[in-house]
Amino acid sequence: MLKNNFTLNTLDISWVLLMIITSANAFVAETAEPSLAITAIICCSIAYKGRRIMDYFMELNHANETIQFFMRSYFHVLPALIFLSDLFSEELASLTTI
Amino acid sequence: MSITATDFHLNGSGIVTKEPETLNKIPGNRAVWVGIFAEMTEFALFFLVYFIAKAHYPEQFNQGPLKLNTLAGTFNTFALISSSYFVAKALAAVRLNDPKKSITWLWRAVFCGCVYLVIKIWEYHWNVDQGITTNTNNFYTVYYYLTFNHLLHVTWASGSLLWAIRQLKAGNYTQNNHLGFTAIACYWHMVDLAWVIIFPLLYVLR
Repeated sequence: MLKNNFTLNTLDISWVLLMIITSANAFVAETAEPSLAITAIICCSIAYKGRRIMDYFMELNHANETIQFFMRSYFHVLPALIFLSDLFSEELASLTTI
Repeated sequence: MSITATDFHLNGSGIVTKEPETLNKIPGNRAVWVGIFAEMTEFALFFLVYFIAKAHYPEQFNQGPLKLNTLAGTFNTFALISSSYFVAKALAAVRLNDPKKSITWLWRAVFCGCVYLVIKIWEYHWNVDQGITTNTNNFYTVYYYLTFNHLLHVTWASGSLLWAIRQLKAGNYTQNNHLGFTAIACYWHMVDLAWVIIFPLLYVLR
């Protein structure tokens, strides 16, 4: 009976996963000391959340390939940039000093 | 990889169709995607400014998030993710020819948009009480610039959701004609996507 009344589809599962990841991020913000490992984990969570929203909420999973490519690239490139800017912060500062 | 008739569920609603509505297509219309890419580029430029400012003022960017209200940022993230979910549900409902249900889901999304705005305004007041203003240091300048810009996007995107509700009530968005609705949904998801990056940048990472 319960099975008939309560079924989760892809959207519901995506919502639950996104809420859990957000809660984990908030927990990290409140408790963890900054480190490259934490930055890497957060970057992965950004990439995963972005992909989940794009594929299932925005429905890019099977959509036009050009749009898929640019949107997915955005959520690969930016998390990578967040990590790299943390890793090479001194080099970035010297590169951008006027 | 080919998609067969049996392996696609219409927008996750459990209804099996012969092919996804968006299969190899542009969701919504070209115009909205020009807008979406323009907005994403704008936010990308803000993020680059954040990276450079953080590299120059590491101490300010290390201490800055500690003084922000993480709970407010977290609840704002919950509100935006939930609103995106409600919009996706609304789109699924109109495809199943259930405009009343679609309107209900959209009102829930608008409510989440309003919750976001109320929390953000409360957070700005809270910040001022803690002595955090736009001129406090470089981190907070970037914080206010990014979040206020995002707040404006949420405001007008909420307006577009109200427009979609009006169109649904008027019978202009139907099971067979809802491209405009899909475009509005895509724009709303873009606003959510921008926050997915902003939240960890400003509240989590140090």
